[in-house]
This record gives sequence, C-alpha cells and structure tokens, in this order.
Amino acid sequence: MIIDHPLLGPRDAAEFIYLGDACLIDRPDWQAEDAADAYHDYGYIRDNIAGPMQELWYHEQGDRSWLVVTRDTLTHEITAVELARDVARARGRSK
Amino acid sequence: MPDFTLTAAPPLAGYDRSFGDIALKAPKDLAIVSIALPLGAEDAAKAAIKTAFGIALPEIGMSAVAKDKSTAIMRLAPDQAFVLFPSATPDAEPQIAAKLNGAAYTTDQTDGWCALEISGAGARRALERICPVDLHPDAFAVNAIARTVMEHMGAIVARTGEDTYLLLSASSSAKSFLHAVELSAKNVS
Amino acid sequence: MSQVNRIKGGLVDRSKSLDFTFNGKSMTGYAGDTLASALLANGQVLVGRSFKYHRPRGILTAGSEEPNALVQLRSGAAQEPNTRATMTELFDGLTATSQNHRGSLEFDLMAVTDLASPFLAAGFYYKTFMWPAAFWEKVYEPIIRASAGLGRLSMQDDPDTYDKGFLHCDLLVIGAGPSGLAAALAGARSGARVILADEDFAPGGRLNSETLEVDGMAGADWAAQAVAELAAMDNVRLMTRTSVYGAYDHGVYGALERCTDHLPGSGGKPRQVLWRIYSKRAVLAAGATERPIAFGNNDRPGIMMASAVRTYVNRFGVAPGKRVAVLTNNDDGWRTAQDLAAKGVEIAAIIDTRDRPAVCDVKGARHVRGAGVVDTAGRLALKRITLTDGQMIDVDCLAVSGGWNPTVHLTCHQRGRPVWNEDLSAFVPGKDLPQGMVVAGAANGNLTLAAALDEGRKAANAQIKDLGFTVSRKAAPKAEDEAYEGAPKWHIPSGKKRAWVDFQNDVTVKDVKLSHQEGFRSVEHLKRYTTTGMATDQGKTSNIPALAIMAECTGKTIPETGTTIFRPPYTPIPIGALAGRARGTDFRPYRLTPSHEWAKAHGATFVEVGNWLRAQWFVKGNEKGWRDSVDREVLNTRQSVGICDVTTLGKIDIQGKDAAEFLNKVYANGFAKLAVGRVRYGIMLREDGICYDDGTTARMGENHFVMTTTTANAVLVFRRMEFVRQCLFPDMDVHLISTTDAWAQFAVAGPNARKLLEKIVDADSQDMSNEGFPFMACGEVTVCGGTPARLFRISFSGELAYEVAVPARYGNSMMEALMKAGEEFGACPYGTEALGVMRIEKGHAAGNELDGRTTAHMLGMGRMVSSKKDCIGWTLSQRPEMMREDAEKLVGFRPVDRSQKLIAGSHFINKGDEATMANDQGWMTSVAWSPSLDHSVGLGFIKSGDTRMGEIVRAVSPVHDTEMEVEIVSAHFIDPEGERLRA
Repeated sequence: MIIDHPLLGPRDAAEFIYLGDACLIDRPDWQAEDAADAYHDYGYIRDNIAGPMQELWYHEQGDRSWLVVTRDTLTHEITAVELARDVARARGRSK
Repeated sequence: MPDFTLTAAPPLAGYDRSFGDIALKAPKDLAIVSIALPLGAEDAAKAAIKTAFGIALPEIGMSAVAKDKSTAIMRLAPDQAFVLFPSATPDAEPQIAAKLNGAAYTTDQTDGWCALEISGAGARRALERICPVDLHPDAFAVNAIARTVMEHMGAIVARTGEDTYLLLSASSSAKSFLHAVELSAKNVS
Repeated sequence: MSQVNRIKGGLVDRSKSLDFTFNGKSMTGYAGDTLASALLANGQVLVGRSFKYHRPRGILTAGSEEPNALVQLRSGAAQEPNTRATMTELFDGLTATSQNHRGSLEFDLMAVTDLASPFLAAGFYYKTFMWPAAFWEKVYEPIIRASAGLGRLSMQDDPDTYDKGFLHCDLLVIGAGPSGLAAALAGARSGARVILADEDFAPGGRLNSETLEVDGMAGADWAAQAVAELAAMDNVRLMTRTSVYGAYDHGVYGALERCTDHLPGSGGKPRQVLWRIYSKRAVLAAGATERPIAFGNNDRPGIMMASAVRTYVNRFGVAPGKRVAVLTNNDDGWRTAQDLAAKGVEIAAIIDTRDRPAVCDVKGARHVRGAGVVDTAGRLALKRITLTDGQMIDVDCLAVSGGWNPTVHLTCHQRGRPVWNEDLSAFVPGKDLPQGMVVAGAANGNLTLAAALDEGRKAANAQIKDLGFTVSRKAAPKAEDEAYEGAPKWHIPSGKKRAWVDFQNDVTVKDVKLSHQEGFRSVEHLKRYTTTGMATDQGKTSNIPALAIMAECTGKTIPETGTTIFRPPYTPIPIGALAGRARGTDFRPYRLTPSHEWAKAHGATFVEVGNWLRAQWFVKGNEKGWRDSVDREVLNTRQSVGICDVTTLGKIDIQGKDAAEFLNKVYANGFAKLAVGRVRYGIMLREDGICYDDGTTARMGENHFVMTTTTANAVLVFRRMEFVRQCLFPDMDVHLISTTDAWAQFAVAGPNARKLLEKIVDADSQDMSNEGFPFMACGEVTVCGGTPARLFRISFSGELAYEVAVPARYGNSMMEALMKAGEEFGACPYGTEALGVMRIEKGHAAGNELDGRTTAHMLGMGRMVSSKKDCIGWTLSQRPEMMREDAEKLVGFRPVDRSQKLIAGSHFINKGDEATMANDQGWMTSVAWSPSLDHSVGLGFIKSGDTRMGEIVRAVSPVHDTEMEVEIVSAHFIDPEGERLRA
C-alpha cells in the first residue's frame, strides 16, 4: 500500500506501523464519574468496520509522525491522511 | 596528563572504495546535532537558526546548505532538524547550543549515525536496490532528503549533488549498512 | 542429433550455434532459440512424463502457460527443477534433463500407473487413504511423498545470489506485444516515465510469431523498430526477461527480472532481481492464451497449440512436424495451416468443428467440416489421429485451436472478477481493476492486430493525459485486422478414451464429470476435488475448459457456473528471489555494541538479543563450560569490580517545557518533582493496567531528561511515547530523540567501582565521594582528560555501581581504559549471563517478570503507582481484580534440598495438593545458580506470596516431569537492606 503522507507525499506502507482505530485518540478523563466504564470501552471495545475507517499509522521509518488514515477496509482505498496531532487538537485534546 | 586517553574509532572511519562507476566514501569528522523547535516558539527558533547559520530552516524533506558549504540543515519533521557540519571534537552539541542560545532544544547525534557518501553515474542504479524512495532527478532534486528504510535499517538519504547522495544510518548497525550499500554497488557495477 | 526439423526463416541467429544436452544427448541450436524450439528442431518431441499417470508428454505451447515441458536445468547445486522449456533461453553449454520418471524417459517404470488409471480418478486419494488410521503416517504418507512432485531439488545450498529493488514510473506497461508497444510508445513520446516489461527475451509478443504487417513492414521488424526507439529514450526503462507477476494495492506491482538465466554462469551477479514497481498508472497488455480442445488421447507428444506451432515455424524456423493436421473451432486455426503451408510443411487436413466453408485456401490440405478428433495413436510420439467419422489420418503433429482467453490474471489480483463475453466465449476483464490499471489489446478481448495497436495507444494516452502529460501527436501505427471468428467447442465426445483438460495435474473430462456427479459443482469445489488448475501452471490452459465442461454437466451457462479468479504470482517465483539477500548471516542487520571489537578479542561468546550481538560471557584461562565463566564473573564483580557494556538499553533524550509533566503521564510513578542531577526508577503501564516496561530516567536539567528503556522495548517505548505526545497531549512542549547508538554506556559494579572510576573520571569534573555523588545521582562529567561523559549512580546488580557513558566513537577505547584502570582491583568484564544472575540474586524484575500478564501490585510495586496524577494505565490498574489481596506476588524461592536446581516455568502447588490447574498457586519466572550463595535461586509469582515467607511449597514441572520442595523467601537474596549500593 501507499500512504500519501500530508508532509512527505506518497510513501510505501512498509515504512509505517499500524496501530488501529483512531478512537484511541479519544482517551477518557480519568477523573470522570464513569471513568472505569469509559476506560473499559476505550481499552476493549472496537467497531469492526467493513468500509471506510479512521486508523492510526505511525511513520516509524520516516518523520515519526502519527497519522490518521481513512482507509476502506474492503478495498484499501485511502481517502484521507491527516497528522494525528491536528486531529487530536480538533477533537479537543491539549495538554 | 591523564592516566588514560581515549581514541575515537567511528565505525566506518577511513572507508573509501570504488565499484565501477560508483564511489563509496565515509566522510570524515561529520558532526550531527538535532534541533527541536519549541512548541509555540517556532518562529523565534527559526529566526535564531537563520542568525546562527545564515540559512533559513528548510521545508520538510529538504536540506539547506550554507553558502560556504560548511553547514547543512536537514528538516526531518515539523519540529525536528539535523545540523551537519565538520567537527572532529566531541563537543558538537555545545557548539550548536551556544549559537542558538536557548531558542531550540539540541541533542548530539554525531555518534548515533554512520555516514556514507555514494557518488558517480551508477549511484542511483545502486540505490535502486535498497531504497524505496524515488530518487529520479524529477522527483528528488538536489538538496532533497528523505528518511526511509533500507534493508531493514532506518536511513536518511540526501541528494547532495548531481550524482552524489549522503546516506545516514544507525551507527550500531554501520557494518550491516555498509554491506548493504557495498553489495548494491557491486551488484550493479 | 542434427536439427532435422529446422526450416528456413525465423528470428534465430544462425551464425551463432549453441551446443546443449538433453538427457545427456548432445544437440545444437541457435541464439534466439528457446530450449523448446531447439528440442523440436532436433526432433526431440518427447520431453517429459506427466505427474500422475506418467504419460509421455511433449511441448504443448510456446510460452509461459506451458503445462507439459517442464525440465530440470543445469546440474549440481545449480540444478533447477520444473523449468519450462518454452521460457528457457538457449545458451551454450546448457544441460537439461527430463523429470518424473524412473528409468529412462522412454521406458518409465512408473508408467504402470497409467494402466491403473481406472482406479486413480479424481478423489482417489481422499477415498483410499482414509483407513486404517495407523497407516496414515507409516504407510500412506511415505507412498504419497515418494510419488509427489515432478523434478527434484539438488539438496544443496543454492550457489546463486538474488537481489531486490524498487522502481518508480508514471506508466507501467505490462507486455511488449503490439498493444504494449503501442502503449509504451505513446507514453514515452509524451515525456512520461515509462517502464515496459515483458517476460520474453525478445519484445514483440505475437508480432514475432505471426506473418502480419504493421506500417507496411513485417510485424517483427516494426516491433524491433519500436523497441529501438524506446531504448534510445531516457524516460523509458525497457525490461525484457521480466515477468510482472502480481498487482498489489495502489499501483504497486511485483516483477521478477531474470538477469543471468540465459547465460552459462552468473558472473558473480545476482541471478534474478525481484522488483517492486511503484506506478502511477499501468496498461495491462498481457495478450491472450490459446486454449486446447479436449478429445480422446489428446495429450500425446506432437499435439500442440496451433498458435505455438505458428510460433515455432515463424519465429524459430522449426517445423514441429513433417505432416501436420489442424483441429480448430475458429478462423485463427486456419492461419496456422496457411503459415505452415507457406513454409512448405505438408498440411494433411484441417478439421474444423464448425460446419462451414473453408476460411481460406491451403494448398494440398483436406478440409473436414463439422468434425473432430476422437482418438490418437503413437506411444511416444503422435502417429495417427482418428476423426469422428472413424477415418484415420497419419500425422506427426496436430495443431489444436480452441479459441483464445484474454490473459486477465493481473486484473484479478485485487479481487476483480472477469466477466463473460458471449461473442468471444471468453472471460474479459471486469470493471473492478486494480487502482490505476487499464487493459488493452488481446488481454481486453481485442484479439486482432489493428484493434490491439489502437487500444494500446489510446489506453496509454488516456492514462498519461490524466497525469497531466501532453499526448504525442505522432501517427498511430497502422495494420489490418485478421479474421477471427469462432464457435465454442470445449471437448469432443470420445467414448471411453480419456480426454485431458489439465495436462500438468492429469485431470480428464471424466474427472470433471465425476466431480459433478459427486456434488462438487462450484468452481472452487471442482478445483479442489479434481486439482484442476492447481499445478505450477495455475491452469492457464485448463481452467476455462474445465469450467465449460462443468457448465455442460449442470446445464447452466458458464458465467452461471462460476468464475475463476487468480492470485499472484502469475508465474512461479523462486523462493531464492523472494528471500533476496536475506540469507545466512545476512538474514537481518546486526547491531554491534561499541566495545564489540574489544569483547571479540577477549574471549566473548556473543548472544543475539533482538538485532544486537551482546557478550554473553568471557572465557578466561581453562574455563570449560559457560557456568565456570559466569560464576567467576559474578563472584569477581561482587567481591571487587566488574564491567559490562550496557549500551543496548534504549536511551531517549526528552526535552521541553512540559517534559516533566509528560513523564508523569507515561510513568506510573511521579517524575515531576525529581531533582536535577537525580535518577529515578520508573515503571510504565499499558492502558489496561498491566506492566509494560521499566527503566531509569535521569534529570539532566530543568527541561531535559534522559530515559533508559529495556533493550527489548526500546523501539516500542519510543513509538508509544510519540503516540502520547502527538495523539493524547498534542499541546505539550516535549521532544523525543533516540540516543541509544550515540552513547557507549558501561556498568561498573562492585565494591571497588568507585575506586576504579576515580581513575577515569576527571577529578575536577565531579566529586566522586558518596556524599558528592550519592546513590541515584547523575551528572555530566569528563573522563580521561576532557572527554565529555555522563555518569549515573544506578545499580542492577545490587552492588555499589555506576553507569558511565561516553560518545560511542570512544566506546571501544573506553572499555580498554576501564579494564586498565581496574587491573589493580582485578576487574573483569561480564556478560549478559552474569548480569542476569546478579539481578536475580538481587530480586530485580526483568522481562521474565514483565511478561505482559503482571501488574505493579504483583511485582510489589503497587504503591509506586501514584493516585495523585493521571498516567497511562492508571484507571484500569485500579480494577478490583487487578488489586486482589491474594494476587500472585513476586517473591524468591530456594530449593529445600540446596543441591537441587530450580526450573523456570515450574508451577507452585501447595504441599498435599494434587498437581492440577485448579490447585495452581503461581509460577517460577527466573532461576539461576547463585555462586554467591552456592545454591539455585529463583524468582516467581505465588498467591499472597508476600505473607507466606518461610512456607514450603512444591515446584512442579510436568514438562520436565520434575517436582521439588521449595521455600518461599524474600526476592532479595543479596543485601536485602540495600547497604552495598548506598556504600
């Protein structure tokens, strides 16, 4: 596969490490009332999507960017590649 | 006079060989210092870099070379660059830190890498055997750089001239890296 | 033997004679021959035996689809079985032997299987080798193994080398036939970067085999001219002898280039190169494959594809027979008759399965309308054919044309399904093509020359226009379309005579019918039941006929019956090519520690730790076994001082205003308040609360930390910290860079460690006294007269110990200096074994304890997990199950009988209980012989271990069939109060 890195252009997927569902960005608040349940879901519950899915890929043999790659799990078509840092900020993560 | 003295023995020191129209050489005394741009103070860091080296921090995937060729800055990531310059002494990091005066974080990388220069008409043909990145002149201009993987080893390739590339890879696997590049040169020459 | 069948013409170079042998017989061919054409020229019609029935077989085709003519090439270690003679370029000195027979090729003793064929139909193995079960391994398997396979391996190491590589292009053109050449010309003339790949050594495809004209010249000449134009262009890479074998995601293709297979020797260069081609766009111009017609005894040597017969006559100047008949269901078969007649080969008859007038005049040939062949005769070579009406014709070659199948293989590699084209009676590429691919020419069902040229050019133009190139206005090549019309005919009823569908796996029409009869009617079942299409040729000539016959049985149409799709590789790829350079010690890169050379010179035995080679122990004097060395190293270190290269531990430089806060997130224990100049042990959790990694982190400055990780997890911890930094806390000012290789780091341990280091560390750079540099201190120092270094007072061994780091270039020299400085104390180097023994004696957890199942609570570090802050893994580490009072706790164990050796992996069972899973109390993680205590010591997890000191339990190892009584003791066998390391 080829991942079109937003900063570096197309790179062979062999340069990357796959992690999984980009919902891992949405780490729950440890002090919330339902923290235990929220972390349970965060840690163990995943949708097994047949279709476009947001995934985390890490450019280990490259610039060390974590990326959010939108990839169709049926066709491998990649429709979007974003820096995970930008996605995390857009989802309200900060310090 | 101390009781014990240490002698430097970088892994590829003195290496210099040719294979047909391909020359392989380990550059001497190449110091490498990484620069990290502080979050929120990138502009100040960029200005300090410009002042310190007389060259602007390049875009990601490119290197900038000082007019007198003494210093090159490779931009590897949004917040990371390598400064390369000649220095035989193990004080590369303090040298750069002094020039930047606290505007960026610095880490000595000199000993973490081995460097190999491959040049000649057949250089690109040899690299084709190990480098997944497109090095065609139309795709990889002079001063372009790429961090990638060659023969399972992380590597940085920089086009430093028409037919000249500087390769960097981890110093602990320098011998395996040299073998990979040498074999590529042998296989195509 | 002379070239009895060589005729005039062809593209072979008659000025270059090449000598070769087949089964020891000397023969001669010409440059430009394949082994197949040269064998035919020499009258060698019989070339092999079939897989199952050991039937005599000849050459069927002239291309990569060849199912029959598989030979062993070369000899000795370089021997290569199952090589297609049709794809083997002749070279001087080539040696080939036939395969799959006992005794000579002509008198194969195994041919008796052919007599037993009534019992060996499809499914025979499934039905026969069922019972008794006791026979499976002892009787059946040896029989099956002995008769399996075709050629034989040399059983020696492959003497050749292989390589891999990466290529990039705008346009990849697969196939250099008429449409491929037209596509490549169009692409190249526009300025695009073009790769043109073809499996043949002579580009041109069918143009080299036909008498058709392009632009008013012979097709082969036009091809040569096109190739010359392409070869002269910088933006074109012309790759002959290169099979594009697979289409992968996003325009990536796999290709095998055979670099030296056509030469007597490789000259030290890689024999083959496996290329990964990154294309922006691709034109698949793979052509088409002619298909056979099944009829009685249609597998005799001399029965060939009509197009192949044409190829041998036109391209190679070889007449496959003296008296030839043509069996065809289409117009194209007639051209074979025409071309042969034009070369003076006698055409005995043209048998057209269609009842219609002659397509053209062929001198001297009898035209038999609406008929077929039902039987043939000739044991080792064809002598006679019998037609449907019973008349017999003496021939030595029968050219068969059953129509053409577009070569759609690569269109299927991304799960694309071909669609049935009723006009062609063939599958053509469907709509779901691999990204960036278009198909042109015969591969797309445009089987005639003008159409192929036109589509090749148009396809390429459309592709490159899409990429932003300006299409060349140079005139398109001109040609005429030849006649192509046919009526499907898959098999001719031939009574009880066996009619072959899959030649390589010996599958007959009857087998397909049997499959239907037994209910295996889907294509996938048909393939598996009969093995049709599952030989090394992957059914290139057999899949569609088998499917068509199944369709007849079911009374359905072919598309209703099913579609076979194809997986990579298109043609077989040698394992050596897939391995590339990764053989022997080049299997993976090695990482060497900075003191590797010193260690090598001083008796080190090395152990692979991931990619690292680490000194495991150092043999001294007459030491016989490893234990002698390890015991000495441990005692020497504990009694005086020892030195160990610990560079392999991961080192991560962490800087930034939020670095301390960041460490609070990644470590379970607190780091924000760590003072500058101090080191702290830290433990990392996974998000599920399980322990992940441990190590020490030193605060070198307010915003500067140096972390160490375990050797094994160095890369993983770095990756995960980047995840935390970028994905979880994107606004923290923190920056990471690995310095593992930058610093050579040495542990100096033992009561004399300080004295030794006082001689190394420059006195003016650091006060080395216990007060000036206490336990868990760190600092920047200089050593040996000004070399910058880092010093850490940390201890894995439990002794007074330091780790000192210098720039890696000084590592080997530093080891020498340390040893020299330690001479007066009797310092010794120690390896990973002694390191392991000492950490077990001290009760330090390592990988065996942090095995992905254990918690901080179990490790006795539960209180380290700070409740005052969030960290990765905090919430889930607090789950009740993770905090159970009776959880297995890390403690020490010693054998009650001190002479016994503990066994790692043993499980603990209370005295008196049965050794069952239900009674399991825990397990032993690490054991070592403690030379300090002179008995075996172990670490392990046992339920409520911390409250059971002194209790005797049994350590049971069903794997070793052992059981012994052990006592639960503190994990700290040595210096439990930690007085030594604070001394």
